[in-house]
Amino acid sequence: MGPLSRETWAQRLGAFRASPSAFMAGPEGEDLGRDLLNELRSEKLSEQTKVSLLALSLEYPAQLWPDAAAAEAAATSLLDTLVLLPPRPSALRRPLLLAATTALAAGDALGPTSGASRRLLPLLLGLASGRDLGRGFGPASEQRPLQATACECLRELESCKPGLLGGCLGLLRSLLGQEGPVQPLSLLLALALRNTLVIQARARAGLQGLLVAGDMPAAGGPWNWTLAEEADAHLQPQAPSWPAAEEEECGLAVLEPSPEEARELRAAVAQLLDTSYLLTPVAQAQLLWLLGWALRGLRGQPPVLFKPQLVRLLGTAQLTLLHAVLALKAAFGEALFTAQDEALLLRRLTLAAQHPALPLPAHLFYLHCLLNFPENCPLGPTGEETAPLLLGPRLCRGLLPSLLHDPSALLAHLHLLCLLCAEDEEKEEKGQDWCPRHYLGELLAGLRQRAALHGGPRALATLCFQASYLVVHCLATQPTVLTPLTHGLARLYRARPALAPHFVDLLDRVGPELGEPLRTALRQEVVSRPGRDEALRWHLQILSKVADGKAPSATLGFLRAAAAHCTDWGLQQALLQVCRALLRAGVGEGLADLLQALARQLEDPDGRDRARLYYILLAHLAGPKLGVALGPSLAAPALTSSLVAENQGFAAVLMVQEAPAPMRLSVGPRRAAGPVPVLQLQVEVLEPLYSVELRFRVEGQLYAPLGAVHVPCLLPGRPCRPLHLPLQPRRPAPAQLAVRALFATPAGLTCHAHLPPLPVNFADLFLPFPRAPDGDKQGFFEELWDSCLPEGAESRLWCPLGPQGLEALVARHLDPFVVVAQPPTSYHVAIRLPPASRLLLRLEAAQGDGVPVALRTDDWAVLPLAGDYLRGLSAAV
Amino acid sequence: MAQRAVWLISHEPGTPLCGTVRFSRRYPTVEKRARVFNGTSYVPIPEDGPFLKALLFELRLLDDDKDFVESRDSCSHINKTSVYGLLVGGGELWPVVAFLKNNMIYACVPLVEQTLSPRPPLISISGISQSFELLFGIQDFLHLGQKNDTELNTKLNQLPDLLLQACPFGTLLDANLQNSLDSINFASVTHPQKQPAWKVGTYKGKPQVSISITEKVKSMQYDKQDIADTWQVVGAVTCKCDLEGIMPNVTISLSLPTNGSPLQDILVHPCVTSLDSAILTSSSIDAMDDSAFSGPYKFPFTPPLESFNLCYYTSQVPVPPILGFYQMKEEEIQVKITVNLKLHESVKNNFEFCEARIPFYNRGPITHVEYKVSFGQLEVFREKSLLIWIIGQKFPKSMEISLSGTVTFGAKSHEKQPFDEICIGGTAYLKLHFKILDYTLTGCYADQHSVQVFASGKPKINTHRKLISSDYYIWNSKAPAPITYGSLLL
Repeated sequence: MGPLSRETWAQRLGAFRASPSAFMAGPEGEDLGRDLLNELRSEKLSEQTKVSLLALSLEYPAQLWPDAAAAEAAATSLLDTLVLLPPRPSALRRPLLLAATTALAAGDALGPTSGASRRLLPLLLGLASGRDLGRGFGPASEQRPLQATACECLRELESCKPGLLGGCLGLLRSLLGQEGPVQPLSLLLALALRNTLVIQARARAGLQGLLVAGDMPAAGGPWNWTLAEEADAHLQPQAPSWPAAEEEECGLAVLEPSPEEARELRAAVAQLLDTSYLLTPVAQAQLLWLLGWALRGLRGQPPVLFKPQLVRLLGTAQLTLLHAVLALKAAFGEALFTAQDEALLLRRLTLAAQHPALPLPAHLFYLHCLLNFPENCPLGPTGEETAPLLLGPRLCRGLLPSLLHDPSALLAHLHLLCLLCAEDEEKEEKGQDWCPRHYLGELLAGLRQRAALHGGPRALATLCFQASYLVVHCLATQPTVLTPLTHGLARLYRARPALAPHFVDLLDRVGPELGEPLRTALRQEVVSRPGRDEALRWHLQILSKVADGKAPSATLGFLRAAAAHCTDWGLQQALLQVCRALLRAGVGEGLADLLQALARQLEDPDGRDRARLYYILLAHLAGPKLGVALGPSLAAPALTSSLVAENQGFAAVLMVQEAPAPMRLSVGPRRAAGPVPVLQLQVEVLEPLYSVELRFRVEGQLYAPLGAVHVPCLLPGRPCRPLHLPLQPRRPAPAQLAVRALFATPAGLTCHAHLPPLPVNFADLFLPFPRAPDGDKQGFFEELWDSCLPEGAESRLWCPLGPQGLEALVARHLDPFVVVAQPPTSYHVAIRLPPASRLLLRLEAAQGDGVPVALRTDDWAVLPLAGDYLRGLSAAV
Repeated sequence: MAQRAVWLISHEPGTPLCGTVRFSRRYPTVEKRARVFNGTSYVPIPEDGPFLKALLFELRLLDDDKDFVESRDSCSHINKTSVYGLLVGGGELWPVVAFLKNNMIYACVPLVEQTLSPRPPLISISGISQSFELLFGIQDFLHLGQKNDTELNTKLNQLPDLLLQACPFGTLLDANLQNSLDSINFASVTHPQKQPAWKVGTYKGKPQVSISITEKVKSMQYDKQDIADTWQVVGAVTCKCDLEGIMPNVTISLSLPTNGSPLQDILVHPCVTSLDSAILTSSSIDAMDDSAFSGPYKFPFTPPLESFNLCYYTSQVPVPPILGFYQMKEEEIQVKITVNLKLHESVKNNFEFCEARIPFYNRGPITHVEYKVSFGQLEVFREKSLLIWIIGQKFPKSMEISLSGTVTFGAKSHEKQPFDEICIGGTAYLKLHFKILDYTLTGCYADQHSVQVFASGKPKINTHRKLISSDYYIWNSKAPAPITYGSLLL
């Protein structure tokens, strides 16, 4: 792009400033940085235009030159432009220095490998030390301002790269002692000194004579980057967070300078402080912050050096100076401020916080400082705002709130008043005397009166609620404050129901101390005046917040009366919102009637549907489930259907969710009795479960479908009675049962889980025959035995015995089925296998390791199962 | 201790955006440090458009406060200082120092050299007080002698150059921007050794020292049994020292006549080199007694070139200069008023002007007034619902004057009549405006002969004094009135 005119540039810069991101995304964005650098050397543009181009580069280097390489190139170009300037006075030298510094520091290009850095640093140091750099650097008249500018540039570089000037401390000291400009040199020296001390302390090194080395890096010689690299890119806060007067986290305590170094250090600090009156007030304040934090915790460096400055500083009204004194107070505490000094400082601060000659923002800042005052002996918990001990009621008298205050001023002063009231808690209220608490009550009443103004600005209402919140926050334990506050707020609601959103917000944020009584008061306030009312929608909004299980009949009465007036969709929804709150609170009686009535009478079909839904929910869900289904909050019904919104809320709750198995199911000891086989199930759970339903399915239709088993509640660690599962086999065969569990979690969700399949063994199906007639057991058995043939089957097999012998084996496994026994050698066993099979065993003439078993059944399919069973007995435990 | 950015925004209610960014300046090297120091809690400085919107919203200066907005109106969203958090770009930009003055919003964001979460207390942030000084400095510069929009624009156009001088890298070097302006102009002067940074050149010409004492008296009068009237004098001593030499030393003594009221709560300019401890400790917080230090109050200092406020003080004079009562009773659409004012005999009865303004808030326009004044004239501003009783230059010999009358109002129309949040129902006030030249209520004066100047040549010394009223309210004694805690301590 060719050279641009002044007007074009003005337009371009204007467009850029309006929205840098939009401009850079546009067609001209890419070239802007390059064009700008080129135009600086154009002879057609005036200096003023060039200054405005440089001003842009001072503000937006990251947009113009987005990476380190571009920043390096830009800085190089700026430096080239600087040295090419003709030797006459020019307004460009200063901004060029600032721009090159900014480009390097902001563009992350500053470092030993950067050519531009290697050029800029010696140049700045040369200018700062007032060396004659030749005609290229302008006439003598420009030297002084350039010297100051160079110091500022060096200070900025040192801020961004601590330790950069560690090697120049001696030089800077000597310059300050000569005739250099006091302010720029003082600030530069103070910063470099502070950074050096911190870096050396971290490296556990001494000052190593840095304070006295007066020589200057030779022109063109290498810059000393050692300290800056030791700082390891740790940016040093110029003022780390306080209070930390006693802490040694800044690490300076480990730096123990030698006596000689300590003397030099003291001399340097004294030199800086002695000439500090020549600095502007804001620069003095910076110097004090820097030196304060430089010497904090440094052994052998008593802070008494600061003492001569204090009286002078305490008399001023300058915000930065008083703030700097507070910083010294925080840094040194008792070492610098005796108890009397502390009292004086506190008085000056109190005075400044109310002095009519100072502006409001200053008052508020001083008030903040009072409540965060770094006391010598703090009593209260740290980190909380408290009134300092020495700040008695007398001192505070002028700091108390008044209705004439601005909102933030009122809140700030109100906070102080609350703190006084909290301290005052124990003291008796003295008759007519206007105690702070009484005053607080009057003030809150005044605020409520203003908030009650119809048509008044919302800010007044907001202020009233903020004040109430602040009071509750500070004085939650004082009924003498909270009771009138509750009544006052209820009256405010009566006067201006349109403040309902503020009340809802307040109830959301205060604890039960105010919340509970306020809920009750507001509910009574609303329900005591049923009927047509302009403020019905506000009443309903309040009720949906405060309606609970208490006094439901009054609330329901109000709603019934209100229903007739709820003619539009919004009001109907608000009404149903209250019903919803009542549903959640477990109000049942009366509500069902109301919901039914609403489901019939509401004009809007959406409202009717929603009422019907609530009615159905109320009729079908138990209280806790209902609470969960409707809670915790419904997104405000958007669009036209409140049902859709409602569904989003509880569809998940009403649906059954798939969940991992939360329980273990096992088959317990057999219980061979009754008409059908019954499995005894044992359950262990990992978490509390409610309304558990276990469903079983038999694979292969071997048994008739099984009924579900219900358990109301299962708790981990608490044993549960065994569950009985009756089986109705269609064939006498073992099977696998697939098990599913349905249950409710403590969170109210209904879940569904698959459990591992449950095996039903052959032996689980055994039932004894009805008892044989007493006399003739043998005959009974023989009769059964004979009846098996010819349709049935017969077999003989060898049943191995374990070490326990036949008697124990029978006792353990077959006892309920033994018909005739001749222990220990002979047992006749009859087993009924539902639905209609029988298995008869004769175990006779046992030998050492086994017993021959004669076996008959009327169902040939049982034979192999019986064989397997008998052969496995000895192995079974 | 530096600033990340600074803005000046004119507040323009009624326009679509409600404001315009008139000036902004960002400091990228500071921003880079902020990113490192703030870590994960870092929120970048937004562009002007989003900043304007977020700031006006937070300061409640948008025209849309009809509805409750939680992020602004919640009761727990409490701001007790002029420091705000702004929701921009998904994060919260904090701390934003901002205040509104004369329809201009002054705002800047100081660097916080640590993480912002949890928020450190403001007192621990060194850049906060610097923010205030920068903004106060800009405010002083813009309003010093500024009379119209053209002058304001001229000054706004000078700001970029001035800040390049006073705050080149975001670290404020001098809050006195006029000084920076001078230093640009003085650039060719060679600076001798030990030139103070707050004095950019030296004066050449006839030596003279001007001392001007301005006392403002404010008062709240209730005419009630259980509420005490309050009044207070606030003094400001302004100096302009045209003296040759780099560091001329000057001592000014303020004196009181024998029955004068002691000066208290004295705040001095930073150029004052030393301060007597009696001056430092004399405070309105303490109970007054006869032992109170009553001067002379000596202020040794090295003056800057420009005019400056040498000191401020307050004082508790024994009686208010004008004591009065105001009675207002509502009777349907009209009110009956009675006013009585009495000038104290000790006060100089020679005003530059004296008038009582009687506003009627939250009512319709005045349709009819019947009145009787014992002295002066009454002017009626019907549309503004305001009466002004012009008392003139002197009270009559009796020192006591009265006004009584009946004011009738028309129907209230919301737009035109003034709304006031204090004056509800019978709560009403009249406000006195007066000025007396060559007089101070405390009696405080700067004796020409007591001014010591250690500089070449004997300077001419000019002294001026004046008393003006400021917030001088007399409340309707027939209705509740806002009180301060001080009024309750009878």
